[in-house]
Amino acid sequence: MTTDLHLLIGPYVLDALEADDRARFEAHLTQCEQCRAELSGFTATAGRLGEAAADTPPAGLRERVVAMAATTPQEHPVVTALGQRPAGRWASRLALVAAVAAAVVGIGGFVVEHQRADELRAAKSDLVTVMAAPDAATTTREVTGGGEVRVIASAQHDAAIVVGASLEALDRDRTYQVWRMDDGTPTSVGLLGPGPGVLLVKDIAGADAFAISVEPAGGSEQPTSTPIVVTPV
Amino acid sequence: VAGDLDDVLVRVARGDEAAFAAVYDRLGAGVYGLARRVIRDPARAEEIAQEVFLQVWQTAARFDPQRGRARSWVMTLAHRRAVDAVRHDQAATNRERAYDWTPGPDHDEVSESVTVLLEHEQVRKCLEGLTELQREAIDLAYYQGYTYAQCASVLDANPATIKTRMRDGLVRLRDCMGVES
Repeated sequence: MTTDLHLLIGPYVLDALEADDRARFEAHLTQCEQCRAELSGFTATAGRLGEAAADTPPAGLRERVVAMAATTPQEHPVVTALGQRPAGRWASRLALVAAVAAAVVGIGGFVVEHQRADELRAAKSDLVTVMAAPDAATTTREVTGGGEVRVIASAQHDAAIVVGASLEALDRDRTYQVWRMDDGTPTSVGLLGPGPGVLLVKDIAGADAFAISVEPAGGSEQPTSTPIVVTPV
Repeated sequence: VAGDLDDVLVRVARGDEAAFAAVYDRLGAGVYGLARRVIRDPARAEEIAQEVFLQVWQTAARFDPQRGRARSWVMTLAHRRAVDAVRHDQAATNRERAYDWTPGPDHDEVSESVTVLLEHEQVRKCLEGLTELQREAIDLAYYQGYTYAQCASVLDANPATIKTRMRDGLVRLRDCMGVES
């Protein structure tokens, strides 16, 4: 019943529909020009209700949000034909996508716009938990030869995120390896891969710093080269 | 980064990190404040705000300036995510309380506190211009994440009436706020 469905526009704009009604109304929207016309004014109205609740965000949120963008791939609006190679800036962006995708699998869940509530919780990765921790602190160090390394550490969660941003791409037979330093003793905590990457490190209590060195693909037991960067925790 | 927020968001879709920071500077307080209002718990609200901005970054290409304003788009994402989270948390609480039923908060008290706390004078005035049922239904749904059926239950009204009041209320708010229809 069209008239009945149209009445759902009020609860739809206020997000007051159950999932099945929401889906039914969205299907109806594609057929109902009048609904779409009304929707934009209602959506703007609801947005004003939202902005009226504005409140000062906690210190540090801005920095974490911006840092996350620097290391998270965006959805691309353009479809590239097979055999057509992206070039220049897009090539480096795509390389970043490839390197980060594996490490940021959890965050990928947030791409879905109309995510169901239970999926929301399930998809919320440890990465986001650490980044959102009230005590999360970011330390940034520039890397000789290009790029920078950020360590976002939370004592509360006893975990850190090591972000290698804009690192120089290595040959396939080499990798960036991350070490935790305890009183000068390095212990491997994982690999970033041959380019920019993200690594979640748990049980960080006691660590003084994280160091990154270039190692043969697959990693080494002990560092075989001088660290390119050391970031204190 | 200056300029109309719609243009700024279009630049975000092209991977402009400075433009993204500018979007945060303009809407961070709105997104966080709304999440805080709906979710109550500040730490959880901060998580939601962070997820919303991540979503803005990732899906900026979906923003279509022909179909609406950037502010509305971001606030819609924020509200939906906050509501999904509060419903999820509520469902978990309900499971825990399966054998320990306690009544929810007194909605009169809650809805009054929402109206009083609103910073934005015009919005507050416009909300005051609604009928009691319109205002309570919109308060419960928008600021507390109730479904319209839950609103009907707590307001002791017919669900069909609540649907209609929500729409009437939005029409009146839209006209009062001077939003283009």
